[in-house]
Amino acid sequence: MGEENLPSSIVQFAQLDKLLNLGRANSLWPMTFGLACCAIEMMCTGGSRYDISRFGAEVFRPSPRQSDVMIVAGTINKKLELAVKTLYDQMPEPKWVIAMGNCAISGGPFKVKENYNVVEGADKLFPVDVYIPGCPPRPEALLEGIMTLEEKITGKRRWPRVQAG
Amino acid sequence: MTVPIHLRHDETFVLNLGPQHPATHGVLRVKLTMDGEYIVKAEPVLGYIHRMHEKLAEAGSFAQFMPNTARMDYLHALAFNHGWALVVEKSAGIEVPERAEYIRVITVELNRIASHLLWWAAFLLDLGGFTPLLYAFDDREKVIDLLERVTGSRLTYCYMRFGGVYNDIDDEFIAGTRDFIKRLRGRMPSLYHDLVTHNIILIKRIKDIGIITPEQCRRYGATGPVARGSGINYDVRKNEPYSVYPEFDFDVPVFDECDSMARYMVRMHEMEQSLRIIEQALDKLPDGPVMGKAPKVLKPDAGYYYSAVETARGSLGHRLICDGGKNPYKLKLRSPTFSNLSLYGEVAEGMLLADALAFMGSLDLVIPEIDR
Amino acid sequence: MNMLEKTQAAFAELFPQAEAGEGATEAATRQPGVLRTDPARHGSHLDVLCGPDQVVAVARIMDREGYFLEAVSGVDWLEKQQLEIIYDYNRLGGEHCRVMVRTQVPRSEPVVPSVSAVFPAADWHERETFDFYGVHFQDHPNLIRILLPEDADFHPLLKDFTP
Repeated sequence: MGEENLPSSIVQFAQLDKLLNLGRANSLWPMTFGLACCAIEMMCTGGSRYDISRFGAEVFRPSPRQSDVMIVAGTINKKLELAVKTLYDQMPEPKWVIAMGNCAISGGPFKVKENYNVVEGADKLFPVDVYIPGCPPRPEALLEGIMTLEEKITGKRRWPRVQAG
Repeated sequence: MTVPIHLRHDETFVLNLGPQHPATHGVLRVKLTMDGEYIVKAEPVLGYIHRMHEKLAEAGSFAQFMPNTARMDYLHALAFNHGWALVVEKSAGIEVPERAEYIRVITVELNRIASHLLWWAAFLLDLGGFTPLLYAFDDREKVIDLLERVTGSRLTYCYMRFGGVYNDIDDEFIAGTRDFIKRLRGRMPSLYHDLVTHNIILIKRIKDIGIITPEQCRRYGATGPVARGSGINYDVRKNEPYSVYPEFDFDVPVFDECDSMARYMVRMHEMEQSLRIIEQALDKLPDGPVMGKAPKVLKPDAGYYYSAVETARGSLGHRLICDGGKNPYKLKLRSPTFSNLSLYGEVAEGMLLADALAFMGSLDLVIPEIDR
Repeated sequence: MNMLEKTQAAFAELFPQAEAGEGATEAATRQPGVLRTDPARHGSHLDVLCGPDQVVAVARIMDREGYFLEAVSGVDWLEKQQLEIIYDYNRLGGEHCRVMVRTQVPRSEPVVPSVSAVFPAADWHERETFDFYGVHFQDHPNLIRILLPEDADFHPLLKDFTP
C-alpha cells in the first residue's frame, strides 16, 4: 500500500466538529474550585453585575465528573497537590483548565526564597489553557479569560477586542 | 449537645468532607465518622491553604508584610491591615493623625458590612437558597465600588500605612457612602428580614442547631459573633478600645440563645451598628493630614508587643517580637477563626449531617485565615 | 481591688518574691516571676516568666480567675540556643486584663507539659507550635502536625531552616 495520505475515516465530520465546538464553548460548566481570595472574585462574576451566565457558564458543578473547565482560583499547596491532580484526572474529556490569579500561574506572592509549601503554578501539575493574571483579577478579567478559552475552542472570538483610545 | 438517638459506635463509616466541597468555604477537610446520618466524631483537618505568612513576616521588613495581611482574611482585609498597622505603630511609637483614624474606621466598618453580606449569601447558599446571594452581591458591589474609589483594590486592600492611610477620601466618596447607608437601611427590613430572617424554612433549619455554651466559648477561646451569640458581651472595640472607637455611640448585639439563629441575628444587627458608626464618623470627620511621620526604615525597640482588633469573625491578635532590627523577629497571628473552629469537634457530635453544615456556616469560616 | 491586682495576687503562691522592673522587654538576667507592663505600648498587663514545669500550675490559676487562652506562640532564640513558648491569656468580657506567660526551654530538647487538660483551646495551638518549632508537649492527646503535610520532616519556623 505504501505511504498514502489517507483520511482518518471514510466519512469526514468537519462541519459537525465545528458545531460541537461551538456548543462546548458556549456552555462551559466550571467546577467549583475556589481555593482562596480569587474564589470571591469568581463568585462576584457569578453575581448579577458581571453575570457569567451570559456566556453559558453559570452552572458551577461541585463534582468534577460533570464539569468541563476547572478554574483554578487560588494557591495550590503541597498538601493539596494530590487532591488537585485527582480532580483533574476525574474530569472527563474534553476538558480545559483556566489558571486564575497569580498564585495559580506561578505561585504569585508566595514564590519566594523561603517557600516551603506552595506549588509554583498550576502548570506544574497539569496543562493549563488560559492564564488570567491579577491578584485577584477583576471579574472582567475572568470574563475575558472565558472568552479567550472560547476563542481557543472555536477559533473565533465572540466579541471584537476593545481598542484603546 | 443532645444525642437524640442511641449512637452505635461499632456500626460506623468514615465520610470525607472536602477539601473540595461547595459548602466548606475554602479548602477545609473534615473527617466524619458517621452512624447513618448522625455524626459520631468530626475531626477538621487543616493545612490545605497554608501559605507561610509567619515565615514571610520574618523574611521581609515591616512594610513588606502589609500586602500579606490582606490575603489572610480577604473578606475583612482592612481590619487585618489595621491590626498590623496598630501593632507596629505601638512598637515604634508612631502617631496617627485624627483624620486618618476616622478614615480607617469608616473603611473598616464598610468592609465589615461587605464581609457580613458575603457571609449571609454563602450561609444561605449552603442551606440551599440561591436567591439571597444575588441580592447580597448587589449591595456588596456598591460597597466595593466605594472602597475601590479610595483604595484602588476590590478585595485585597493594602490601604493602611504606618502612620495613617495613603490616600485621602473625597466628597464623592462621602456622598456615595451616605447614599449607600440610606439604601441598605431601606432594603434591610423588606429584603433581608422579611424574605429570609422570618422565613419558616430558615428558622426550622437553624433554630436550636449548634448550641455552644458560654463555658465552651471560654474554654476554646471563641470570640466575635460566635461568643456574642452565646451571651458573652465581648467586643474588642468596647472592651479594649483602639483607634477612635470610644468617640462613637454604638451597641454590641448580644443574644443568649446560643444557637445558630442567635449567631445569625448577631451579624445582622452588627451590620446596622456598623452603619451607625459610619454615619457618626462622616458627621464628625475632621480635616487634616492623612499620614503621620514615620521613619523610612522602621526599627522598633526590642520587646514583646500585642495588639487586638475586632474583625468580622472575632478578635484578631498580632503577637510581635522585635529585636531592634528592620525585620520582625517573630510574628504570631492569632486568628479568630482558628479558635472558633476548634470547638467544632465537640459540638458537632451527635448532629445530623445537614445540621452540622448549617452549624459550620454559622461559624463564618474563612480557611486561609485559619491556615495562614 | 481591680482585676490586675487580683490576678497578681493570685500568682503570689507560685512566685512568692515580689519583682521590680518593667516587663515585656528582654532583661539580661530575669528570674521567674511576675512583672507589670504598660498595656498601651506592649498590649498586655502582666509578664509572667515561669519554668516549664510551672506552666500547668499557671494555667490552673488563670482558669480559676476566669481567663481564656488566646494564643500559644513559639519563638526561636538562635544565639541563646533557647526556644520560648508564650501563652497569652485574656478575659472574655468584663474588665480587660491580658497576661503574657512565657517559658524557655533548651533548643536541643524542647519539652513542655501540655495545658490542654485545663484549656481545650491549647489542643490545636500546641499542635501548631509543635508543627512549626518541634516543641514536644507532654500528655497532649493528639500531638500530630496540623498545618504542614503529615509526612513533613522539617520544622519551618526555626531560624536555621532553609527549604
